[in-house]
Amino acid sequence: MKKLLAAVFLLLLVLAAVLTLCRSRWSYAEQDREAILTPATAAHLAGTDELGRDRLVRTAGALLIGLTGATVAAAISIVVAAGFGLLAGFSPRWIAAALMFFSDGFLSLPWLFFLMMVRSLLPLTATPLTTAVTTFLVLAFLGWPAFARAIYRGALEMRGSEWMIQGRASGLTTWQLMRLHVVPQLCPLILPQFLICVPAFIMAEANLGALGLGVGEPIPSWGAMLMELDNTALLVSSHWVYLPIALLVVVLMILESFASEVKVYA
Amino acid sequence: MRSRLRCTFAFLLLFLAFCATCPAESRQPGELVWAIHYDPATFDPAKVDDQASELVRYLTGGVLLRVNRLTGKPEPQLAASYQISSAGRLLVFHLRSGLRFSDGAALTSADVAWSLRRVLAPQTQSVVAEEFLSPAAVTLDTPDKLTVRVHLPRRIPGVERIFDEIAIEPANRPSLGRVTSGPFAVVEVKSGQYVELRRNAYYWRRDARGVQLPYATGIRLEILNNREQETADFLRGEVDLIDGLSPEYFAVVARREPQAVRDLGASLNTEQLWFNQSPAAPLPDFEKAWFRNRGFRVAVSQAIHRADLARIAYNGHATPAFDFISPANHLWHDDDLKYPRENLADAERMLAVSGFHRSGKQLYDAAGHPVRFSILTNAGNGARQKMASLIQQDLAAAGMEVTVVELDFPALIERLMHKQDYEACLLGVSNAEPDPSSMMNMWLSSSPNHQWNPSQKAPATQWEAEIDRQMRLQASSASQSERKVAIDHVQQIVADQQPFIYLVYPNVLQAISPQLSGVDGAILSPGPVWKIDLMRRPDGRPQAGGR
Repeated sequence: MKKLLAAVFLLLLVLAAVLTLCRSRWSYAEQDREAILTPATAAHLAGTDELGRDRLVRTAGALLIGLTGATVAAAISIVVAAGFGLLAGFSPRWIAAALMFFSDGFLSLPWLFFLMMVRSLLPLTATPLTTAVTTFLVLAFLGWPAFARAIYRGALEMRGSEWMIQGRASGLTTWQLMRLHVVPQLCPLILPQFLICVPAFIMAEANLGALGLGVGEPIPSWGAMLMELDNTALLVSSHWVYLPIALLVVVLMILESFASEVKVYA
Repeated sequence: MRSRLRCTFAFLLLFLAFCATCPAESRQPGELVWAIHYDPATFDPAKVDDQASELVRYLTGGVLLRVNRLTGKPEPQLAASYQISSAGRLLVFHLRSGLRFSDGAALTSADVAWSLRRVLAPQTQSVVAEEFLSPAAVTLDTPDKLTVRVHLPRRIPGVERIFDEIAIEPANRPSLGRVTSGPFAVVEVKSGQYVELRRNAYYWRRDARGVQLPYATGIRLEILNNREQETADFLRGEVDLIDGLSPEYFAVVARREPQAVRDLGASLNTEQLWFNQSPAAPLPDFEKAWFRNRGFRVAVSQAIHRADLARIAYNGHATPAFDFISPANHLWHDDDLKYPRENLADAERMLAVSGFHRSGKQLYDAAGHPVRFSILTNAGNGARQKMASLIQQDLAAAGMEVTVVELDFPALIERLMHKQDYEACLLGVSNAEPDPSSMMNMWLSSSPNHQWNPSQKAPATQWEAEIDRQMRLQASSASQSERKVAIDHVQQIVADQQPFIYLVYPNVLQAISPQLSGVDGAILSPGPVWKIDLMRRPDGRPQAGGR
């Protein structure tokens, strides 16, 4: 019931965001220079930011970009983690050890510096969309090792199970075993990992954006919008500056409630 | 176990309560307090090369002449008078009688000569020495205890100003600011925390009623690189002034203490945009051709709404700029300057004449390349980031697709100065000196700081050759009117060619506690404290009496 309510609420938020972006007369980048840092008005329902950009439109954009980017990045991350974990789980012991050593080594990378390096390698003319895609791809690239070990453990348990031996004795190939039995069996393990990953990536993007390493302006992102909160002078100008963080907290709570429900179920 | 935990918790609460009620280190009666953003790199007045050290030198160092920050004219200080020979190669300073250092020792011409020689000596590596053009050729002699003669190899325009930057120290006893001839002396330095200065009881100056200056008993310079905390400290009365208040915090202070904030109008500093015209730049040839095209640069200048930049990026605390000399620099600004006016239709016409054409919303060059480029600026500067975003939209209206890139300062400088790997850059220039000679390193085509095309072996264009010629002429001329004509000419060439597209002059914003008296705000450094010996708090020394 709680999960259903959360799903409905998230769906409503997404629909509201899509409607806001489609129906508003303002684009996320458009500057209304006669309305700088205004409170809520008929023209700007949640006021404007320091450049006169509509805060509601930008928050809606940040919600959709954050959710989409984090979901895609989490999916990539989980697919890579599952592939890596299964490969290790069904390989000879020494190969598995080498793969897990590689995975652990990857975990210990100073990923913030890695991200800074990747961002500095981008050409200066890289469009904001390129920076957004790069940010989420890098998150996906860096996020998989933590889950690979859990999937590897699950795969190891299955490898020695009786039904696996029976499957092999029945003439099923490794690929068939994987597709028909192992992956479905691992789903209760993979799904919670995926659901944990989505809010984690949203949060990571918000943190990176606040450091100036996330999605490039003028594309709206949680990180860039949260940077406004760094300016005390701005905080006293309008209560609407809190809209992005309030919405971010709500979205994270919804996503976390999914993850906890599935974890309980799993 | 539980009782021990309870005990620890109670102790922690008590400690926190103590910390909360414990007042910040209390100031001494009559002491002035304000913040500087980083530790002074040196307390040796001869080796000053940064703003914080320069401030300490100003507060502690006695000088022969002090430039009046309002009139720009040199005024006698330790020197009661001075003369310059008609050829401009001999300066004679006559010291006041009875001068003393802060330790009570007598100050004579020997101390002055020693201090000047120390600044001129190559091993000191003093930045000030460079202003003498050929410091090794400068000689000194002291005919008596109160006279110092300085022999220059050639005339230096505005040479008196240099003596504003040379603190007189006791001969053979350099003390890192602890024994001084200025109003204050350093007494304590805590790295990263504060610099404590105490009043010099032997300071030479008295007010009109005969009260010895300075009025303040001391100065505490808090090291604080946090604008928000600095503003909060000011509002709590823990610091007395803020020089260089940011536009956002100006509004915060104005709301709480409207009588405390001052907007002195345009500063001498400029914010500008320029395109990379260096032949060595790793850019495609067609991009280099755009950036070298005068029509392109003028069109960009015409498409930018400077009034919006000042109003939005600086909350109205900036002045639109069209020239490298601010109107606040009355002596050198050209009031009759002709510059490209802001007008999008004119910009589009100029682009069409220069070989560009529009197709839909996108602008293309004659060879069909879409006009796309990036503007580099430094991360962490809110006003510049906002200006870049505003320019992005202004230029989009002219069909140009602009990407804004923020880089941390070292990465930015690496690209600008070494790799020259950028297309356009938005940065500012701080001009501490109103005299245009101080800008020589920016305008001479051979200079590494000639940003749009640095370190040229020979001027790349005729107009750059003409700028070189005019700048050299003004630097060597003895005639003020001739210098002004040369500088006006340079201003007009720059306005015509737009190698730097000037955007705004940030205003000088200050917050001064209403409790302070004797403050006379100036736009030139050190701003509100330039008359430091006359500044005081109500809890200071009695206004009459002796030492």
